[in-house]
Amino acid sequence: MIKITNLEKFYKTEEVQTLALNKLSFEVKEGEFVAIMGPSGSGKSTLLNILGMLDDSDGGSFLFNGEEVSDYNERKRAHLRKHNIGFVFQSFNLIDELSVFENVELPLIYTGIKLAERKEKVHSVLEKMQIMHRRNHFPQQLSGGQQQRVAVARAVVNNPKIILADEPTGNLDSSTGNEVMDLLCELNEAGTTIVMVTHSEHDARFSHRIIRMLDGQKVTENLNVLV
Amino acid sequence: MLKNYIKIAWRNIWNNKGYTFLNIFGLAIGITCAALILLWIDNEMSYNEYFADYEDIYTIKNTQTYGDETFVFEATPGPLAELMRNEIPGIGNVSRSASSESLFSHEEKNIHQTGKYVEPEFFEIFELKFIQGDPSTAFHDLHSIVVTESMARKFFGSGDVLNKTLRLNQGQSYVITAVIEDLPENISPRFRFSWLSPFKNYENANEWLQGWNNAIQTYVKPEANADIVSLNETLYGFIQTKLEDSESHLSLYPMDRWRLYNEFDKNGLEKEGIFKYVRLFGIIAGIILIIACINFMNLATARSEKRAREIGVRKVLGAQRKMLIVQFLSESVLLAFLATLLSIALIYIFLPPFNDLVNKQLILDLSDPLHLGALLMITIISGIFAGSFPSYYLSSFNPVKVIKGIKSKSSSAAFIRKGLVVFQFSISIILIIATVLVYQQINHVKNRDLGYDNEGLVFLPANENIKKNFQAISNELISSGAANELSLSGHTPVNIGSNGGGFQWPGKDPENDVLVSMESVSPSYIKTSGMELISGQDFNPNVEANESQVIINETLAKMIDKENAVGKVITRGDSQATVRGVVKDFVYNNIFGNETSPLILYPSSQDFNHLVINIDPDKRSTAVSAIERVMEKYNPGYPTELIYADEKLEEFMSNENMVGKLAAIFAGLAIIISCLGLFGLAAFTAERRIKEIGIRKVLGASVGRITTLLSVDFMKLVLISCLIAFPLAWWFARNWLENYPYRIDISIWIFVVAGLLAFLIAFFTVSFQALKAALTNPINNLRTE
Ligand SMILES: Nc1ncnc2c1ncn2[C@@H]1O[C@H](COP(=O)(O)OP(=O)(O)O)[C@@H](O)[C@H]1O
Ligand SMILES: [Mg+2]
Repeated sequence: MIKITNLEKFYKTEEVQTLALNKLSFEVKEGEFVAIMGPSGSGKSTLLNILGMLDDSDGGSFLFNGEEVSDYNERKRAHLRKHNIGFVFQSFNLIDELSVFENVELPLIYTGIKLAERKEKVHSVLEKMQIMHRRNHFPQQLSGGQQQRVAVARAVVNNPKIILADEPTGNLDSSTGNEVMDLLCELNEAGTTIVMVTHSEHDARFSHRIIRMLDGQKVTENLNVLV
Repeated sequence: MLKNYIKIAWRNIWNNKGYTFLNIFGLAIGITCAALILLWIDNEMSYNEYFADYEDIYTIKNTQTYGDETFVFEATPGPLAELMRNEIPGIGNVSRSASSESLFSHEEKNIHQTGKYVEPEFFEIFELKFIQGDPSTAFHDLHSIVVTESMARKFFGSGDVLNKTLRLNQGQSYVITAVIEDLPENISPRFRFSWLSPFKNYENANEWLQGWNNAIQTYVKPEANADIVSLNETLYGFIQTKLEDSESHLSLYPMDRWRLYNEFDKNGLEKEGIFKYVRLFGIIAGIILIIACINFMNLATARSEKRAREIGVRKVLGAQRKMLIVQFLSESVLLAFLATLLSIALIYIFLPPFNDLVNKQLILDLSDPLHLGALLMITIISGIFAGSFPSYYLSSFNPVKVIKGIKSKSSSAAFIRKGLVVFQFSISIILIIATVLVYQQINHVKNRDLGYDNEGLVFLPANENIKKNFQAISNELISSGAANELSLSGHTPVNIGSNGGGFQWPGKDPENDVLVSMESVSPSYIKTSGMELISGQDFNPNVEANESQVIINETLAKMIDKENAVGKVITRGDSQATVRGVVKDFVYNNIFGNETSPLILYPSSQDFNHLVINIDPDKRSTAVSAIERVMEKYNPGYPTELIYADEKLEEFMSNENMVGKLAAIFAGLAIIISCLGLFGLAAFTAERRIKEIGIRKVLGASVGRITTLLSVDFMKLVLISCLIAFPLAWWFARNWLENYPYRIDISIWIFVVAGLLAFLIAFFTVSFQALKAALTNPINNLRTE
């Protein structure tokens, strides 16, 4: 599903040039659950942004379902992203001014789905995430775990092929963190590919495979013993 | 403490250069506009102040009522002055005065100059500054003349001019007995003069002055202790003590009202003249300043969240609300000072074009305490006003909430902000509508069917040479093809000067006097002017054959006989005349009027001031050079100064033209300033919602969608502004148009156009920011660490 080879990314600030990704290569197969680990600043978020087509790479190749994405223009990438990728962030990134329902509904609006169908899809996903009773609340009225569940609901409402999650439990205590991890596992079992960045060894154990990074490079890649 | 405030203020200004620039620039435009208008107002209010005791100087007004309409003239009969001196105690100094534009010659130089024939007491009434000579001897000889410095220089350069002579109208020589300082520009235009000469000269040349025609001005400076009310009571019936059934009632009209008022309604009551513009522009300048201050309020409160932490910390550290208010006010005043510095440069840049526009020579003089003081006042007032709401709002933050990062929804501030934007745009839309309306009305009048050939008519002041050689001039110009037709007349149609009452005709109620205008014309007048005869006959080309025959206009014809006025006899006193023909009503004097006043065109052989020439408007330049050539032959030594009928008409609309241009400028400024504010607010909104925008983009929102999302709220405000502006504008428009009986209908297109314009301008302003926000890469704004 995803294949990157020798991926590179620089950040140029006024004087320093940071090499955020340094000839990084790996592959993610359809249906896999991959965890990416590494210390802060090792390039995990950068990688995830590129995989999510939110950012350009500066070198190397990125095949998504066999298509070379690195030289796609913004419009094509937006199209691919809209239909294939769901995001979950550490800080939830819900829109404060919109209710739970409206937040989850957004991706459907942007892919041009009709109102009746939207309602149905949102309701079913909210039910699945057990957050239906909160659908008219606003993000600030929810606990962290509930907010992240809304964020996950929003990520999956469009039935994406792959979910990219950047430290989804980073802002949660361990029990609510576990709930979110269970959610992701369920989704994975239902067939969704998941790439998750995490600091937590505990969370990483839910995955099939762990890729460890340091200074923009892959250091190890091993199959998860528990699986 | 203050130093600390200013330091912080300065850093705040410096760290937010973009917003600061928007604020300062908007405020500077507002201050510039207010300053220019204040200069103009100051000039208008200072008219005639040149004469220190101008409040005690009067001209005599003559009020006459015909039917249900009352007219007020500044014309009095010749014998009046002497009778007043002899019979009215306390009247003080009285001088007759007659204005004249005459040709003066010295060697090769022939120049027309406007001046007055006055009596020696004129110098007692008006304190003129004598550079050479003195008032007591200036009028010793009959043929003496007092000239202004600039008139002297025109003829004699810088040399000594005392006792030099100037020839008047190619005839009598006049000896210069004194030179006076030029009158400043802010003197009532009709009072201005370049020369003064003894009234006796005028009296000798115009015998009719012995009679009771109202034709000259009478100026009065009553004795210091005189009771003006009782003088007016005496004057009211004064003419009647000499002339029993006169319609004239006299009154004193003070010089300090000559400029700003000096207009009278149908009941003869004084109404505002220029003063209504002074007030209107004053209000608009104030509003533009307010619009500029609103920008500051809006941006300051909109950005308050960013400063909330600073405020919270200050409060925790013991700052009282009062101190915070002082702090924020000093910031806004500092900003206003910077704006004023910029606006001083802007004033210097824009004063020359502004002067052209209002036809004045205004100057900004920073060494003049009045100017500097006014500028400081504007600065401080706008600084405090602009800072008032933000300082009140910002200082009200609860420190605990703020520091914990709890965002108060601040809906009250947001609501006020929206209200202020609506205010700005409502004003802008009203001003756009006003601009369009004034231009439509001007064009409406310009293009109206005047009933004569406005484009083809050219006038030339007619002197003896021209009158004597009229037939030859006429033949030559017509046979050469330069002109279609020529005639002589007393006045130009926009300015038919004489009228009077006392006319009778069969079937007329003798009690109900009618004011009738009278114009002396030569036989070819109707043809030359391109007027239409609707019944009867035109004048006989032979002047003598027209003896006691007149042509009247349609309005008068209908008064005399609805069916057929031709052949009816009109009498006035001892004289009588038969109606020979009726001319279709043409527009004269009141170009904004809808109804024409009654008019008699009477044949004359002498009573002419103008040569009227009908030319082909397409061949104007060849016609003009042909006219000049012919004039050189028959009227040598006189400059050929042609007056074009259409230009003359424009002159009569100069106030409307000025209002139109100023409205356009005000509308432009209001829109520019409002858009600066909107630009800032949109930037702020985009900034505040940047994270939301990022999320939406990640979720697949297109650039167009996000641009719309950010713009739509602002567009709603513009829509509300339209709803507020339209009825108000309609109301103003109706009121303004009421001054003009011949007027346009208010068309809804004006509203549509103004609304659309405001909408488009606002949309471009806002969508620029929205687009910018929509195009930024979302991950830059979603970084979590
Ligand atoms: N927008 C940016 N500009 C400059 N440097 C950046 C930017 N984003 C990330 N970096 C740098 O790139 C490196 C990788 O960052 P990131 O991918 O955020 O690491 P991680 O998510 O693993 O903590 C870090 O050194 C970081 O400082
Ligand atoms: Mg990271």
